[in-house]
Amino acid sequence: METPDQVRHHIIDSLMARHPEGADAAIVLWEKLATEVISVVGEGGFDSLYARSVFLSQPRFPWLAAGSSSPQAAHRFAPLKTSLAAQTPVQASEANRLLLTTFTDIVASLIGETLTTGILRSAWAMSQRTRTARS
Amino acid sequence: MSNQDKDAASDAGEPDAPDQAGTRREPSIAAADEAVLSREKSAAVRENAAHAREGEARIREASATLREWDLRSDETQAASDDRISRLQQANEHLVIATLEASVMAEEIQAAKDKLEYLVHYDTLTGLPNRALLQDRLGQAIELARRQGRQLALMFMDLDQFKHVNDSLGHPMGDQLLQSVAQRLVGCVRQSDTVSRQGGDEFVLLLPYIEHAEDAALSAQKVLAALAPPHHLDEHDLHIGASIGISIYPNDGRDAETLIKCADTAMYDAKESGRNTYKFFEPRMNAQAVQRQSIEASLRLALERQEFVLHYQPKIDLQRGTTTGVEALIRWQHPQRGLLAPAQFVPIAEDCGLILPIGRWVLREACNQAQAWLQAGLPPITISVNASTPEFHAVDYPENVGAALEAAHLEPRYLELDLTESVLMRDVASTESVLHALADLGVKLAVDDFGTGYSSLSYLRKYPIDTLKIDQSFVNRMLGNADDAAIVSAVISLAKSLRLRVIAEGVETFEQVQFLRARHCDEAQGYYFGRPVAAEALATLLQAGTAH
Repeated sequence: METPDQVRHHIIDSLMARHPEGADAAIVLWEKLATEVISVVGEGGFDSLYARSVFLSQPRFPWLAAGSSSPQAAHRFAPLKTSLAAQTPVQASEANRLLLTTFTDIVASLIGETLTTGILRSAWAMSQRTRTARS
Repeated sequence: MSNQDKDAASDAGEPDAPDQAGTRREPSIAAADEAVLSREKSAAVRENAAHAREGEARIREASATLREWDLRSDETQAASDDRISRLQQANEHLVIATLEASVMAEEIQAAKDKLEYLVHYDTLTGLPNRALLQDRLGQAIELARRQGRQLALMFMDLDQFKHVNDSLGHPMGDQLLQSVAQRLVGCVRQSDTVSRQGGDEFVLLLPYIEHAEDAALSAQKVLAALAPPHHLDEHDLHIGASIGISIYPNDGRDAETLIKCADTAMYDAKESGRNTYKFFEPRMNAQAVQRQSIEASLRLALERQEFVLHYQPKIDLQRGTTTGVEALIRWQHPQRGLLAPAQFVPIAEDCGLILPIGRWVLREACNQAQAWLQAGLPPITISVNASTPEFHAVDYPENVGAALEAAHLEPRYLELDLTESVLMRDVASTESVLHALADLGVKLAVDDFGTGYSSLSYLRKYPIDTLKIDQSFVNRMLGNADDAAIVSAVISLAKSLRLRVIAEGVETFEQVQFLRARHCDEAQGYYFGRPVAAEALATLLQAGTAH
């Protein structure tokens, strides 16, 4: 029996496995997630969560760029894209996996696993069945 | 029939038309019937009109209601959107505040951890500090007591570390301490504690030993680990250590006593030639007491005027004349007799008394030089050694000036002997002090040249007048080609830099010949004369002793 956080981590793992490697694909995931999370906690809340996630991931991946100082939401992930693109696909994928896991860990610690998992499924259009089958 | 009735009749149908039963009625009756019918029709028409109006009114009312409902629905949606927006904002603020609180909590924890680290660890080396050692030693003693075991404490002091610090500067000294700390940690067991007490002192706690010999093996490992040179920047530094060992419970049953015994044994190791280890022995306590006694007596010696200066002549090797003297301090101890500098100067340096003693030497030497001049003796230069603490004291040039002024001695008759370690420490400040002294008009000599670290460019830059070749090279120069080469090279170097050169420790005529052949300017040593009291030297000067 998996714990709720393991379920969530599996969601991220299966998502990473399904999507092609590369900075562009990673940014698509983040943009979808941002849309859902922003609808709950607003732009400022998302930016704060994202900045914290980058900070906590930097000890393992020091090259991960911090969030953009640009006030335009469209450029929010530009630094991430640049830093992922500069790495090997494997390195970039590992870093993005850690960043996503860290981000969702923080969200889950604030609003609980159930809501967080719901947000992830909604963001990445994953059905309960798909997740359950994979998990 | 009125027009209205006609209208009503026409509205109701033809007047002569058969009734519904198909019977034709009489005209009068028919007229009455028609009137009644007409009224009824009129009433029905009015009723129908009223119903129509009522229906229209209801439709209008329903439309109004629908419009109102639409309006209300829009208002409800707007209110709902507003509530969602407010919730989103509230969530935003809660998320930001929670994360900020989280960051703040981490910073507080980090500050606590740092404080905890600073309380228990040495920031330079990362080793446990004195406080943590005391704690661990206390626990180790308690455990050893309960289990009936022994433990060992090793007090270690680096040999000549001060020399490195003084000559290459504190940053290099710090790097050396870090390198030593790494090697110490690398040669002990996980259960042992290596701590830094401060300065160049380290204490090792070996809580699990079977026999005292185990501690000896550990000490040998430490000395072996420190033996290879430390590669720091461009320097290969060699540093040894003296180690004192105390054993629980034989030498003491509490932390303080064990540390004191190990410290005492360490001093004994130093006096035994350094780079070795010694187990504590009770006799060492007597020596430690004697050292403390010397320190206490030193504090009184200045007041009691127990210090005296002896003077050793310096000879011009070509002319054979006395060109100057070196002033050397002696302590006329009331109980122990005349003590050489080696017996008390290191202690004076340790306890800070070297500064007032140095000032006394300076004043006394200037007064003596002036006294000889006034006595009509040939003018000579008097040399005074300046220790590192004196030279780097902020008021050293002022003290020199004050001593010259008090004695009414011309500065050209005073020469200050400075070791390489004094000169190479903190080059910027050294240069400034040297120029201040040179501006006074005194001469400057580099003492024990060749034994320390010198930068030739600084030698050229500094206002130095004289190089003094260390006696260790002079002693060996006739039997060792390397030493002979060094002496020749230093003489050549001095000539190239237009400096005078003096050979120290000259004891034989063969040495004099060697030096003369290489055009060494001056020499001093037992061959020309031992250090003597002022009166004896005056006699020599009067006699114009030449060699």
